[in-house]
Amino acid sequence: MRELRYREALREAMIEEMDRDDRIFLMGEEVGHYQGAYKVSEGLLAQFGEKRVIDTPIAEAGFAGVGVGAAMVGLRPIIEFMTWNFSFVAFDQIISNAAKIHQMSGGRLKVPVVFRGPNGAAKQVASQHSHSVDPFYTNIPGLYVVMPATPRDAKGLLKAAIRCEDPVVFLEGETLYNVKGDVPDADEEEVIPLGKGRIAREGSDCTIIAWGRPYYTAMAAAEQLAAEGTECEVVDPRTLRPLDTDLMIESVRKTNRCVLVHEHWPYGGPGAEIVDRIQREAFDHLDAPILRVPALDVPMPYATNLEELVLPTTQRVVDAVKRVTYA
Amino acid sequence: MASGRDELLAHYEKMFEIRRFEEEAARAYAQSKIGGFLHLYIGQEAIAVGTNAALTDDDYVFQTYRDHGIALARGMSPNAAMAELFGKDAGCSRGLGGSMHFFDVENNFLGGWGIVGGHLALAAGAAFKSKYTEDGRVTVCFFGEGSTNIGGFHEALSLAGLWKLPIVFICENNQYAMGTPMSRTSPLDDLTLKAQGYGMQGDRFQGYDVRTVQERVGLAVKRARRGEGPTFIEVETYRFRGHSMSDPAKYRSRAELEERKKKDPLVIARDLLKEAGVGDEQMDEIEERVEAAIDACVKFAAAAEPAKEEVMWDTVYATDLSTKRGAGR
Amino acid sequence: MAKIIGLPKLSPTMEEGVLLEWTKNEGDAVEIDDLLAEVETDKATMEFRSFDRGVLLKILVPAGESLAPDTPVAIIGDAGEDISELLAQVASAPAKPEAAAEASSPAAPASPAPAAAPAPASTAAVAPEATSGERVFASPLVRRLARERNIDLRTVSGSGPRGRVIKRDLEGVQVAPARSAGARPGPRVVKASPTRKTIARRLTESKQTVPHFYLTIDVNAAPLVEARRMMNSTLDGDKVSFNDLVIKASALALRAVPAANASWMGDAIHFHQVVDISVAVAIDEGLLTPVVRDADLKGVLAISHEVRDLAARARNKKLRPEEMQNGTFSISNLGMFGVQEFAAVINPPEGALLAVGALRDDVVVVDGQLTAGKRMKVTLSCDHRVVDGAVGAQWLQALQKYLEAPASMLL
Repeated sequence: MRELRYREALREAMIEEMDRDDRIFLMGEEVGHYQGAYKVSEGLLAQFGEKRVIDTPIAEAGFAGVGVGAAMVGLRPIIEFMTWNFSFVAFDQIISNAAKIHQMSGGRLKVPVVFRGPNGAAKQVASQHSHSVDPFYTNIPGLYVVMPATPRDAKGLLKAAIRCEDPVVFLEGETLYNVKGDVPDADEEEVIPLGKGRIAREGSDCTIIAWGRPYYTAMAAAEQLAAEGTECEVVDPRTLRPLDTDLMIESVRKTNRCVLVHEHWPYGGPGAEIVDRIQREAFDHLDAPILRVPALDVPMPYATNLEELVLPTTQRVVDAVKRVTYA
Repeated sequence: MASGRDELLAHYEKMFEIRRFEEEAARAYAQSKIGGFLHLYIGQEAIAVGTNAALTDDDYVFQTYRDHGIALARGMSPNAAMAELFGKDAGCSRGLGGSMHFFDVENNFLGGWGIVGGHLALAAGAAFKSKYTEDGRVTVCFFGEGSTNIGGFHEALSLAGLWKLPIVFICENNQYAMGTPMSRTSPLDDLTLKAQGYGMQGDRFQGYDVRTVQERVGLAVKRARRGEGPTFIEVETYRFRGHSMSDPAKYRSRAELEERKKKDPLVIARDLLKEAGVGDEQMDEIEERVEAAIDACVKFAAAAEPAKEEVMWDTVYATDLSTKRGAGR
Repeated sequence: MAKIIGLPKLSPTMEEGVLLEWTKNEGDAVEIDDLLAEVETDKATMEFRSFDRGVLLKILVPAGESLAPDTPVAIIGDAGEDISELLAQVASAPAKPEAAAEASSPAAPASPAPAAAPAPASTAAVAPEATSGERVFASPLVRRLARERNIDLRTVSGSGPRGRVIKRDLEGVQVAPARSAGARPGPRVVKASPTRKTIARRLTESKQTVPHFYLTIDVNAAPLVEARRMMNSTLDGDKVSFNDLVIKASALALRAVPAANASWMGDAIHFHQVVDISVAVAIDEGLLTPVVRDADLKGVLAISHEVRDLAARARNKKLRPEEMQNGTFSISNLGMFGVQEFAAVINPPEGALLAVGALRDDVVVVDGQLTAGKRMKVTLSCDHRVVDGAVGAQWLQALQKYLEAPASMLL
């Protein structure tokens, strides 16, 4: 094991995969000469050249579509959105094309493309640049949706995403790029299968389910509650479509209570989907209603005091756990 | 000229097959054997057949939802095509696509696409692959004049021009974007003026004589194959039927339609063949052969097995999910 | 070869179309895609164009008809062809269009029944509460544990929000073993509601502090039965009950013997100048006594309506407190349960209460002859502090007079 930053882990995943398979290329705005808007692709141009690290004009619909088309005929594109907020202008390519082609062609065409980039609120970038897009893409059959929280998961899951035969929406945390964490040594290849979650912390009193940045909020809340004698189990599904339902159900059967923490809005989305699955499959194991700690149901404000109000906080998670444990 | 005559005969036979296929599809639609949308290509056949004649089997072709003509021209069997319209498992897309979403991977026909402007970038992607792998293929992408106003058109042409991709964009200008004539949607009469904006060659001609289409598309394909970049072609044409089966086409007069029918590509080809000395007997032979094939494809489609539920589940993802029945569980 | 032409489906949602106008005449040559007729559908006026080449041999349906898709509308064939057989076919509806073309084609196989759709994962149904009258709120986990351990959740008090029984509340709860011959379960403990507590307190107070004594008479109820029958026969669907008549008779008796309409107030006796009669109504939690004000001044039907309204609102807990206060006399009736006579507890500070028994068939003596009759026992409970034996007896006499001669209530 060694310590890597989240962005370095992502970069390593791309380098290793591009070394392995020359059908893989990286395309997006500022990925090459600029070395990546968030420096994830730093050094890739020098290593792989302009043929495989391709700067594009500002034309998300265009280059997302090029990626899908190239994947249909055998390449394995990695399409970087400078942020997922800009993917909305390419929505049609991802939803009407990438997610539909395999079925629409009667199973005869495959689309092994990865769309990746930073997701969620950063700091004071206001409403148009602060979307957590997981609810939009998880609703679409035909897409994988992955949202890693740790450097290790970022690397192992991106490698799996690149190898996947289906389109993958890979949501990185904009505020997580500098987070450091243990990652297996360079000679120990780890490909983390898509659709498998992880128990990040064991506990018996309440299950907290969180992914992406709120994973850290959940862990902090669990620490605080442990000091007060409440042991939380923290589950990170890591992939939001398909969901590792069994893992979450098993945990809730043990703890009888569940709190979800997510950065997306409360209306629908994977948060509501998970609640639905748990109430259906673990109904007789629930000792309290399942509670969610989501972003507040407003467009993201600019002012820092308001932004802090909107995003899930440790205190809100602690309060929710106390409510479901009747503490 | 014998080879030229034989080729024209073959083109005529294919155009006649497309015409008769669609006339029978319209009948089946009226009998409720086909559902959803059905967009007919009747009147535009010379473009599909002429373009295909300018391509190799390896070249990639993308089309809009008005896709029966090019699919048959590419070599899709009428059986697979009609079965798809009937929603049968034997259909080219196993009954999952329908009229708008024909696919024929073996013949490198990469789809009928349902969102206006949505497939142009995909075609640029296929051309990108040819450049990336240097496989020598050319991609042809058809679309209507209505698509030239949507963002997807501009972004795809922008990238294709920037990267000099081996692709030919063919705008089939059939005069009406659904019911709106081009005079009310475009500030330009000559759409090829747009080509300049994307740094690519433009060409513009009438698409009623299959030989003209073959020749002019052929020039663009050669340029693309030589690495000289994309071409934007505007072909004048006319659809004789409504936009779809539920369109009564009230926006044009019957007189206009009758006038246009004088330039029916099938009539033109027939006249050319007559001039070239092809006798009635030979024409009858061709038509009988086509009629038999079309008759057979309708019967085949009617008798074929319905689309299968397990195929529906199995084709959501290409990867083998532990529970294919939905990632949604 | 001639064929029957059916009306085409001209829009994806067309269920019928009006054939507006034929644009070809019988005998006209027809090419594929030639306009045959105009059809008005749910979407628009559509062109009905030919799918066939030939001659329009016969128009089967005149313009103006509204038709379902597939209805035979014409016959197209070669000039001069004999179409008598097709015409016969059309006449012997239901003719199938294009019968000629279809005859030689293989019949489409019947679609197999679609495979059963995958049922969404379902959880075992939750057993309904066995016999509980009141709903117990409990978490799903607690309900499952209660089922497994045979715990009666009505015996567990919940510490969660709104009294929800949660997992923690089951800690230390004795598991009730399934009842076997030797096992003897203790009583089921149900927390007393505030209403029940009030009833208990007031009755205890009454029976402990009010010196009760009881007077019973047995009245001839035949005239009452007859009077009620006659009244109801005039009411066209509406009706009055025996109890309504007893209320009215009691109210008049209180006017006749006002000494019985009194309350002991510690250092004074209140002789009421109004007649407000409390009527006992059984509810789930016990007994309520809404008051019919000025019952002496009201007609029997008005009393009847008022009692029904009060009783209904008593059961729905919709009575206002003032509707249950300050009665001057009570009536309780258990006759409908077959109770012959009973001695009821006075509702303080009222001075008396009438307990009404069942109306019964009995042998009576009329003119020295034994004969079948109707009788009813009523018992007056009196507060000896204000209603003495003689007063009570006089009051009962007055009541008996009204009950045995109902017409006298009109005087």
